[in-house]
Amino acid sequence: MTCKGLHSASIESGSTSPLYEEAADHVSHCSHCRRLLKALSPSEAGAQPSSASLDQIATMLATDLRPVRPIAAKKYTFITLVAIVVGVVALSVARMGALAIPVMSSLQTYAILGSLAVSIGLSAYSLVNQIVPGSRHRISPRLLPLTVSIFLMLLIAVAFPFRPEPDFWTRSWSCIRVGTIIGVLAALPLWLVLRRGAILSPAITGTAIGFFAGLAALTTLEIHCPNIQASHVLVGHLGVVILCAVTGLLLGTTVEGRLKGFLSSNFSGGACE
Amino acid sequence: MVSGLQEETVERSVNLDYWMERYQKADPEAPRALISALSPALLSFFRSQRANREHADDLLQDTWLRIHRVRHTYRPGEPVLPWVYAIARRVGVDGYRKTRRIATHETAMDVLPEAPLQNEPQRHQIPTFEELVGALPAAQQEVIAMLKVGGLSLEEVACATSSTVGAVKQRAHRAYERLRKLLSTPGEGRLGEARNDL
Repeated sequence: MTCKGLHSASIESGSTSPLYEEAADHVSHCSHCRRLLKALSPSEAGAQPSSASLDQIATMLATDLRPVRPIAAKKYTFITLVAIVVGVVALSVARMGALAIPVMSSLQTYAILGSLAVSIGLSAYSLVNQIVPGSRHRISPRLLPLTVSIFLMLLIAVAFPFRPEPDFWTRSWSCIRVGTIIGVLAALPLWLVLRRGAILSPAITGTAIGFFAGLAALTTLEIHCPNIQASHVLVGHLGVVILCAVTGLLLGTTVEGRLKGFLSSNFSGGACE
Repeated sequence: MVSGLQEETVERSVNLDYWMERYQKADPEAPRALISALSPALLSFFRSQRANREHADDLLQDTWLRIHRVRHTYRPGEPVLPWVYAIARRVGVDGYRKTRRIATHETAMDVLPEAPLQNEPQRHQIPTFEELVGALPAAQQEVIAMLKVGGLSLEEVACATSSTVGAVKQRAHRAYERLRKLLSTPGEGRLGEARNDL
């Protein structure tokens, strides 16, 4: 076994399992590895907390101890989030009409709506994991909004034609306005569901909520708006998603700042007394 | 065949699950049991992230406050350690930012005299775990601390850090390479230099 092999054995064994025979044999011959493992041995690790401080923490928690209901299983939260988006899209389309469907070809319809369905599913899955600490993230919550936005941008550029359009900004602004209202309408019930979880990083989760609400708005606009010029769809429709995500990021950053202020004042005012 | 250490790990894990469920049901014994079981490792986790003793104690207390506030987000039957360490990690990040913010507003009024060197004869001995891990970049520090102090598996570290097992392995390997270099390089102050490099 090489020293590199020993690294793998030590990393995979964690702190509790003994090294397997081959690795143990290598350690007995290699002084560098022996030194490294000795330095990293858990028995070397740190001082113990004082019993007084542990008692203080326990007393502090015991004063506010009441039963709590565990958060719902992931699948129920996932279904709820998707149901909110479907509900908002269905209500908005029922009110405004599905004017884009007859204008788009079947390929365009399937491509854009299929991609949006997958994006909504992935974003909902990511949000469900973000509100429970220690959940496994198969896709980084930081990268997901960016990756999905780039993918949708490329898809729109490929699937829809670029043609010169009169009143480009007026029409785009009209869609952005409608889309933003739909995004806000979707974000409110989403927030009511998600606030039950533990939002450890408000900036990232805020961006994800904004992005998810923006996808609801984008889906509505793709079904409703008969203007399928690529530049209009990119600016007037996809722009809503970016706008909602940025708004979520800004709100999240603000909350994060306030949360830190609250924690530090709560900590120094009550906990240490 | 299950070794004694593995048995201990399984038993500890079962107990933590059990006490977390009791904690959610407001059993007055549960907070004390969890605090005594998890706090030593959490304190070492913070100490290994360049926090001094006082600051690590503050972070530990802050972690328990946050755990208490979000205890309903633990799902019974799921592993407790990634859940706890994800919270602790966030508290550590917030604490680090707060300390850095305070430090940027502080102005040194006078140069402090050099602290007398203690343990002079021990300078050539193996550095402590905290000294050693403190010389690593933050991302590698937390992975090594969770693996070696927290006793988390690679999968659990991946969950606690919102990362993948592959990324965790890569960070751990890089940390080992760096630590090997630090340990094999002769000369004092090497750890301090490494820390300053970060």
